[in-house]
Formats: sequence, structure tokens, C-alpha cells
Amino acid sequence: MDYPMREFAAGGGVLIAVVAILHVVVSHFAVGGGLVMAVLEGAAVKRNDRPLRDLVKRSSTILLLLSTVFGAISGVGIWFTIGVVHPAATSSLIHTFVWAWATEWAFFLLEVVTALAWVATWEKVSPRTHLLLIRLYAFAAFMSLVVIQGILGFMLTPGRFPKTLSVQDGFLNPTYLPGILFRTGVCILLGAAWMAFAALLEPDREARARLSRILASAGALGLGIAGIGWFVWERALPASVQRLFLGEKPLLATLATGRAHTLRMLVAAALLVLLVLLLPKLQSWPVAILALLAGAGILAGYERVREGVRKPFVIAEQMFSNGVLVSEIDSLNEKGVLSKAVWATKEAGGRTVPRGEAVFRAECSSCHTRDGYLGIRRLASAMDADLAEMFLTAMREDGEAWKARAAGKDAKPGYPFMPPFVGTDEELKALALWLASLNAPAVAEGTHAR
Amino acid sequence: MPAETLLPALDPMPIPGPPWLFHLLWVVTFAVHVVCVNLVLGSSILGTVASLDRDRVFGRGVARFFAELNTWAISLAITFGIAPLLFLQVLQGRFFYSATVILAPAWLGLLVLLMAAYYLTYAAKYRLRAGKGAALPFGLSALLFLAVTAIQAVVHLLSVQPDRWEAALASPWSALADRAFLPRFLHFVLAGVTLSGIVLAWVAVRRVPAEEARPAASARALFGVKIALLATVLQLVDGLWLTISVPREVLLGLMRGGAATMVPFTLAIGAGFGLLVFLARVRDPIADRTSVRHALELFGLAMVLMLVTRHQLRGLYLAAAGARDTPATTDQWGVFAIFLVAFVLCLVLGIVALVRSARDRPGPGRATA
Repeated sequence: MDYPMREFAAGGGVLIAVVAILHVVVSHFAVGGGLVMAVLEGAAVKRNDRPLRDLVKRSSTILLLLSTVFGAISGVGIWFTIGVVHPAATSSLIHTFVWAWATEWAFFLLEVVTALAWVATWEKVSPRTHLLLIRLYAFAAFMSLVVIQGILGFMLTPGRFPKTLSVQDGFLNPTYLPGILFRTGVCILLGAAWMAFAALLEPDREARARLSRILASAGALGLGIAGIGWFVWERALPASVQRLFLGEKPLLATLATGRAHTLRMLVAAALLVLLVLLLPKLQSWPVAILALLAGAGILAGYERVREGVRKPFVIAEQMFSNGVLVSEIDSLNEKGVLSKAVWATKEAGGRTVPRGEAVFRAECSSCHTRDGYLGIRRLASAMDADLAEMFLTAMREDGEAWKARAAGKDAKPGYPFMPPFVGTDEELKALALWLASLNAPAVAEGTHAR
Repeated sequence: MPAETLLPALDPMPIPGPPWLFHLLWVVTFAVHVVCVNLVLGSSILGTVASLDRDRVFGRGVARFFAELNTWAISLAITFGIAPLLFLQVLQGRFFYSATVILAPAWLGLLVLLMAAYYLTYAAKYRLRAGKGAALPFGLSALLFLAVTAIQAVVHLLSVQPDRWEAALASPWSALADRAFLPRFLHFVLAGVTLSGIVLAWVAVRRVPAEEARPAASARALFGVKIALLATVLQLVDGLWLTISVPREVLLGLMRGGAATMVPFTLAIGAGFGLLVFLARVRDPIADRTSVRHALELFGLAMVLMLVTRHQLRGLYLAAAGARDTPATTDQWGVFAIFLVAFVLCLVLGIVALVRSARDRPGPGRATA
């Protein structure tokens, strides 16, 4: 929070979500497509199956253009985006997992080189060499998933890391293996879903139906693995988080709906896969598009739930989503949040920001916008300054519960989805006044009416 | 407000290894990244120039060479850009993040520009393969790559000068007012053109072409050499401009650094002059193949030495800004060993894949994939 600040109209979280979801849909296809294509090219060579070989060849161009261009750049894009929205958290993750990230990079390097070579050598090298290339690609792509899942899982369930500070403990966290299982299933499903478009380009009707059925079988396998993965993943989450899925806190209804959405998408994808398995001649562009959207929907739902479950932390039990460390709650209460968030009073464009608004920028703007996503004007519309002050005071008291929880005690903060308020009494009052001022006319009218 | 008070605190998490290791990996991986970036920039510019050539056979042949080269170079530039970015964030994350937050619209916009430029390169490649012209997609991609380069240059310069952050946040365009920005930007662009020109020449004549292919190979190589020569002459002028544009205290730091800073800097300038001599000597590129090869080698030497100087300058900039905190370190040798094994494994497998792809050419009647 001592970094320069930028507020985004849609909210930093939404920005990350947009980039991340676009990236994960493509990157999971890059992994699953590699696995499915490696198996199918092997089968095509073994059986001398020309239509199957042509399917893989057509799919390879999609893989190249999506994976090495969009996938690679959007992957860097996630990094750029989280660095801009959550610089302190990004820095902390990099310091902890730089070697894991470097390992993933090594596999990514192999992935890119083999993808380019594989696509460039159709009709130039022997089938054996060509198979070697796609198998190496599939291996590298899958290994990059195996590595990155350790870091993603850590952000949600750090396991014993907060106590031991051991990278192994953080990496091999409780949701590591379930996450790999779920993601592998979705990868295969998405690989088959993207390839379905290439199958539709097959001119021979009978062959087209056969290829569609093969891909539907792959999709069914992926769905099965993803379903099991989801089931195990949910159970690997702490019991308190599982209860939130079932709507324990009404304000966290989005979490429950996120879960329901994911399960609905799983069912929709299963129905579409079943349709193509039983009646492959009905496979068509609309069906293929729906299947792809359902696959992407599963992943988007999972990522939404994963992000939601993690709140209010950006790194569980260590750093809140606004960059405040659990370990600095006391010092910020004493010295004031603006003693650290020196940039909060400086806005792009040169405007000097008033104190209350600066506290909002420092503590709230990583999740809340003014009028957009989780818009604070709407959320605070029922508050006058006194009510806002009471609310913030209660949130500041939550700091004790968060500290106790991080120390391994069974403590329940009153607002389990938001970071505690940190800062001096003056800062608290300034924020309360600013919140009340957002809806000043409405409050005035309400007061007058009373 | 004094810049020191606006500087984010050091990350409380220690650096997971000795700093020298990160510096080493940063410079080495950045060198590979810069080679690829130079090729991308130079190839997109020269591809555009060639696409506009009145001699369509020659122009489209050269343009196609650069389009094919660029689809590989862009992918490798992006991939090899990841590693130095990682190590930079370990060592100097607070400077890097601050600059990217301040220039967030441009920094995030860079991704869109990069993606559009990459797809335009593919569009150019497929059009040239189909025998069509590609001046428009090539030209647009070159413009976008130039914009990406400019953004990178300005973010870098801002990141190492915290005293300029507050003004840049108030008025982002003021970041372009840095005296060193334009010469630095040109330094990159000219290096790119030089490298692409030499690579074009070297590929054309690295083996003695068959008699009927000699005129075309010679013309292509001469085009590359002349462009590289012109770019190198301009580079020497720009290099002087860049040197005097660097803040005084930074330049003095470089001069007073003794052999550690002056040897790489002086040798890099010497290599630049050597490059000029070798390029100027080439009259018949097929007969002077050795000179073309030496020019390529000298370019590589000059680039590596300049990267060392660049790295030292970065430290001097930060020292001038008063950023002298020493971060805590910790060991993660076990995880580092896993990285090392994975890296060597992937490198070996990648080389095997490329060598087999290049060598495996089934004879007539043999099946191909």
C-alpha cells in the first residue's frame, strides 16, 4: 500500500478477472489441446487415419495462434495487471516463489519452441519426429500447469507455510493436487472443444461425424476428471469456507452462486458432450460454440469461486487484498494508514486528495470502485457519518480476530470477507465523513423527512 | 515531498538467494531477450521497407524472410522476456512496480499493441506465402513494435528515477520529457535494424550459393549490409547523444567506476567501430563471407558489453536516487536445484527437438507427417 495508486473505472479486481479469465481459457486449451493432439496424432499415424491426421493438422494452427500469441501475451498480461493492482502482493509472491516461477518458465520455453517447430514441420519431417515434437509440447505444457498450480493453491490455502515459511510447505498445499486434477480435466475438455471447430471443417460427412464422436469422448473424459477434481477440491478447503458456499453469510451469496454456476456449466457441458456422443451428425457450429462456452464457463466459475474464497486475503493469513499485512495491523492503528500509504493523497492528474478519500483509496479501492463494481456510493447509501463511524469501528476491532486467526486460534471476525479497518481515530472519522458525503443530498433529504 | 519518503519500503520477504545470482541470471536471460527484440524490431522495419520495393520479386522475397523469422523471434522475445522480468522484480521490484502503476494505461496498453503487432506479422506471413503484398500489415506491425519499444524505454527510465514519479503521476506525458528517452529509444531501434540487416546478409551467403542463385543471394546480402552500415553510423552518433543525455552524477559514477565500468563501456564502443569497419569492407558479400560473419560476431560482442554497461547504469541511477537499502536474503537452494534441473532438461529437449526438425528430411517415397 506504499506504492503509487491507480483507480480503474471498473475496479482493479474486475480488470484482473477479465485478463485472467481470457488467459486461463486459452492456456488450459494450450495444455489440453497438446494432450489430446498428441494422443490423436499417435493414433492417426498408427492406423494411417488420414481424416484424423488432417484434424490434428488443422487444429495445430489454432493451437499456435492461440497458445503462442494470445496465451503467451495474456499470461504476461496477468502479471502486468496484478503488478499494477496489487504490487505488494505480487512482490511478496515473487520473493517466495521466484524459483517455482522460473521452473515454470523453463517448461514454457520448451512449450513455445516445440509448438513452433511442430506446426512448421507438417509434411517436412518423418511422422516419428513430428510425434516427438507434439509429445514434448504436451509434456512441457502439462508441467507448466503442475508448477503454476502450486502458487495458485498457495494463495488460497497456504497450508503450514505461515508457521514453517518453507517453500515446499507452501507449494504442496492442501488444494495443490485437487487443483491439478480439476484443471487437467478442464484442459482436456477445452482441448476437445476447440478442436471441434477444426473437425467441422472436415469435408466428408461420415468422417466428420466420426471425428466429432472421438472429440466428444475426449470431452467426456475431461468432464469426468474435472468433476472428481472439483469434488475433492471443495473438500480440501477449510470447513469454514465450505459453509460459505452454502450461503452462511448472506453478503457472500456471490460465492454460493459462483459454485452453482460452475455446477450448472458442468451439467450443460455434459449434456452437449452426450448429445454429440449419441448423435454425432448433429454436431454443428452452434453446438460447438455452446460446448466451448460451457467449458469456459466452468473455468470462469471456478476462478470466481477461488478468488471469492480467498477474500479478504490476497495471500491467505498474511496479506489482505488491500496490501495490509496482518503483522502490521497494530503499527498502522498507532501511526495511521496514511503514514504508510503516502501515495493515497496523490491522484493521477495532479489532484490533491482529501484525507477521508485518501483513506478510502488506501484501504478500500483495491476491491471497491466509487460507482462501478462493488460501488461504494451505493453500498454506503444508507449510512450517515455516525453509522459509518460505528461500522468502521467494528471493522477495526476485527483486527484482533484476524491476528488471533493468523496465530492459529479459533477466532471469527465479524466481517469475514473484508480486511479490518486500520488507522487512527482521526483517519476513521475522516473516512466516515467522506462516505457519508457521497450521498449527501439523499442523506439530507432523509434527515429532513424524519 | 522528497523522493525518499515516496519510495515504497523494501519487501519484508527476503530475497531467496544471493543477489549476485539474480543479477547474473537477469543479465544472461536479458541478453537473449534483447537479441530477439532487436530481430523483431529490425525485421518488422526492414520487412516493411522491402515490401515497398519496386522490384517485387526481390522485395517480397526479403519481406517473406523477415516475416518467417519474426514469427519465431516474437515468440522467443516474449518468452525470454519473462525470465529477466522475474529477476528484476526480485531485486528492484519496488522501482519497477511504481513506474508501471504510474504509467498503467500505457503499460497495460502495451499488451494490446504487442498482440495486434504479432497477429499482423502472421497476416503478413500468410499473405506473402500466398504471393500477395504485405506492406500494410508489416508497416502497421512495425509501428506497433516501435510504440512497444517506446513504452518499455520510458517505463525503464522512470523506474530508476524516483524523484520524477510524483510529476509523472500528475502528468504522465511528462515522462517522455526525459532527456535520455529519445536517444535511448533510437539506440534500440538502430541496433535492431543493424542486427536484422546483418542476419539477412549472413543467411544469404553463409554457404556459397549455387551459380544460378548467386545474383539473388548477393543482392539480398548487399541490401542487408548497406542497411546495417547506415544504421551503425547513425548508432555511433546516437551513442554519443545518449551518453551526454544521461544525468551528470550517473555519468560521473560510470567514469569513476574504474575498470569494472570503463572496460565494458570502452570495449563496447570499440566493438561498434570494429563492426563499422567490417561492414564497410564488404563489396562482394559472397567473396567477403568472413567479413559478414565477423560483423555478426562483433555485433554480438558490442551488444553483450552494452548490456553490462546498461546494467551498471541502472545501479548508478538508483544510487543517485538514494536507494541504498540492503535487502535481507535467505536460501532456497533445494528449489533452485529443481529449477536448474528443469531448465537444463528443457534446454536439452528443446535443442534435440530443433535439431531433429532441421535434419530429418525423408527422401522421396518416404512418409512425412
